[in-house]
Amino acid sequence: MKVGIISFAHTHAISYASILRDRSDVECVATDPGNVARPAGESGGRELAESIGVVYVDTVDELLAWHPDAVIVCSENTRHVEDVERAAAAGAHVLCEKPLATTRRDARRIIDACDRAGVSLMTAFPVRFTAQYAQLRHRVQTGAMGKVLSISGANNGRLPSERAWFTDPALAGGGAVADHTVHVADLVFGLFPDSDAEEVFAVANRLLRPDCEVETAGLVSIRYSNGLTAVIDCSWSVPDHYPTWGGLTVRVITEGGIAELAPFAERVDGFSETDQSPLWLSYGADLDAAMLDEFLGAIAEVRQPVPSGRDGLRALEVVLAAYESIATGRPAAVQPL
Amino acid sequence: MTISTVGLVGAGGIAHLHLPGWLKLGFAVVVHSIDGQAPALTRQYGGRAVDSMDELLDSADIVDVATPTDTHRLLVERAAEAGKHVVCEKPMALTIADSAAMIAACERAGVRLFPAHVVRYFPAYAAMRTAVAGGRIGPPAVQRFFRIGSAPKQPWYRDRARSGGIAMDQMIHDFDLARWSAGDVEAVYATWVGDETTASTTVQAILRHHSGTISHVNGVWGNPTLGFHTGFSVAGPGGLLEHDSLRHPVLDYDGHSDAGETGYVPPVEAASSPYTAELSDFARAIREGGRARVTPEDGLEAVRIAAAVNRSVDEHTEIALEDVR
Repeated sequence: MKVGIISFAHTHAISYASILRDRSDVECVATDPGNVARPAGESGGRELAESIGVVYVDTVDELLAWHPDAVIVCSENTRHVEDVERAAAAGAHVLCEKPLATTRRDARRIIDACDRAGVSLMTAFPVRFTAQYAQLRHRVQTGAMGKVLSISGANNGRLPSERAWFTDPALAGGGAVADHTVHVADLVFGLFPDSDAEEVFAVANRLLRPDCEVETAGLVSIRYSNGLTAVIDCSWSVPDHYPTWGGLTVRVITEGGIAELAPFAERVDGFSETDQSPLWLSYGADLDAAMLDEFLGAIAEVRQPVPSGRDGLRALEVVLAAYESIATGRPAAVQPL
Repeated sequence: MTISTVGLVGAGGIAHLHLPGWLKLGFAVVVHSIDGQAPALTRQYGGRAVDSMDELLDSADIVDVATPTDTHRLLVERAAEAGKHVVCEKPMALTIADSAAMIAACERAGVRLFPAHVVRYFPAYAAMRTAVAGGRIGPPAVQRFFRIGSAPKQPWYRDRARSGGIAMDQMIHDFDLARWSAGDVEAVYATWVGDETTASTTVQAILRHHSGTISHVNGVWGNPTLGFHTGFSVAGPGGLLEHDSLRHPVLDYDGHSDAGETGYVPPVEAASSPYTAELSDFARAIREGGRARVTPEDGLEAVRIAAAVNRSVDEHTEIALEDVR
C-alpha cells in the first residue's frame, strides 16, 4: 500500500513516518512544503524525512502524482481543510490529525470532500486504541459497573514548544482547549456513541505562560443527552523539564464504583545521575501503530475506519461550544451533528 | 484562667476522632449527645458523659460542636452566650446568614470560634500550601481536587435540608483548600448527578478565583465498598504539585481480606492524627491569643462557595459569589 504524509507541521508525523517505514506492506512518501515558512531551528522538510528514512518529495502535487492509496494530513490545524480536499480529490483515503479542523465550516468541507470523492476519512485519536480502554468500554456498555454518572478527565502536557504554530491562533485555532479537549471528549463519545453532548461550560486562562497569545489552561464541563456529565482539564500544565511530555487520565464514576484509566501510566521510574533528573521509561503499547493498523486495515477491508471524520467533528463541536462559553461566561449549546 | 475542659456535643462520626484528640492533648472532656451514644463513646475512649447541655456548659471551657449541620447555629450561639470558646465542625452552617450570625454571636460574647476544616491539617495539603505560599511553583494557574468515599451511613447526611448535600458537607473541604492556595473565589459552575437518596452521587464544580486561577473540584459519595481516596494537582508557571492519597503508603497489605477499611472519613493514626493537630492549633490559639490556621471567615467563605455550587446546580449557570449572601 502507498501511503503519503502531507506536512511535518504536527510532530506526530514523525511517529507515523517511523511506523510506516518499518511496515513491509507499506511504501511511504512524505512532503513538507510548509517547512520553509516555519521558524529557524524547527525540524522539517527533506532533512527530517531523510533522518527518519522515508522518501521525500518537494510538493503536495508531486506526492499526489505518485497516486497514494492513503494520505495522512499533519499540517497546521487551520490548513487541514486544503490538504484533505486535495488528497481526497486525488482519490486517497485520509487520516487527518486532530483536531479535524478549527471551524464547523472547515470540518464540514473535509467530510464532504471525502464523501464526494468516495474515500474514507479517519480522525487521529490514538488514545482510543488503548487495549484497557476497550475493556473499560465493554464493562460500561454491558452495564457491569452500573449506571455511569460522571466522568472526570485530564489531558495535560507540556506547552508544545517544538513547533511555534501551536500557540499561533491563526494556525492552531486556539490553545490548550483546541489541542487537548478533543482526546478525552472522543473517549467519552466512544463509551456512549448514542449520546450527544448538549451543553458546555468552560473557563480558561493564560497564567502558565502570560506571553502566549492563546489560553494555556482550561476546564471544560459537558452535559450529555443521557444525563451524564464530564469535566475535562485540557491544560498545558506539565512543566517544560518534567520527565515526560504529559499524560491522559479518565475517571469514570458509576453507581458500582470508580474506574480510572491512565493509558500512559506504564513506566519504569528511576533517576539519572548524569542528567541529574528523574528517569521515566514509558513502555506502554504504541497507540499510533495501533491507530495506523485500523486506518490501513479498514482501507484493505473496504470499510470506514473508526474514529471517523464525523467523530472528529463531534469532538470539535465540544471545543467550539467551549470557546463560545469562554467568550460569553455562560453555558453554550453544542451544535447537533 | 486555665483552659482545661472541653464540652463535646455529639457522639457521632467526628466525635470518635475529636474525643481521643482532646484527651491526648491533656484536656478533660465531658460529652453530651441527644442520641444516647455519649456513654458508649466515653467508655471507648475516656472522658465523662453528661446528661444535659446545661451540665456540659457548667464544666466546659471550650465547646466542641460535632452535631448535624442544621443544629450548629443554635449550639454555637448557646455556647457563646455561656462565654465558652467554640470549635464547630464543618460546614459551619447551611447558610451564609447562619454563619455570619454565629461569628457575630462569638464576637459579642468575646469568645473564639474555630470552624474545623481539618484537611488544612492533613500533611500533604499543608505541604502543598506551604510550597505554593513559598513561591515554589509560582502563582497557581489551574488546580484539581478530588474526594471520593462511600456515602455516609447516618440518615441526616442524605437529607439535603440538614446536611446541604455532598457539596456542602464533603466538597467544602476542597473548596476551602482551593481558596487557601489560590485566594478568594469569584464565581462557580457545577453539575450534579444522582442525589442523596441514590446509591451514588457526584458533583463536578469549576471555580474561578479573583487571581485568575481556575479550579476543578470533584466529590463522590459512592457505594459502601468504596475506599476513601483524595488527591490534588496544582500547576503554576514554575512547577507542578500532585498528590494521591492511595500512593506511597507507609504500610500496605495484600492478601488479607480484613486489611482495609472503607469509609466516609480517611483512616488516621492516633499518634499523628490531623484531627489532633487541628484541635491542638485551636487550643494554642485560645491560650496564646494568636490566629489559628482556619479563621471564622474561612469557614463562612467555604459555606459561600458551597452555597453557590448548589445554586449553580439548580440554575444551570455560573454563579458570582458576590450574589450569594
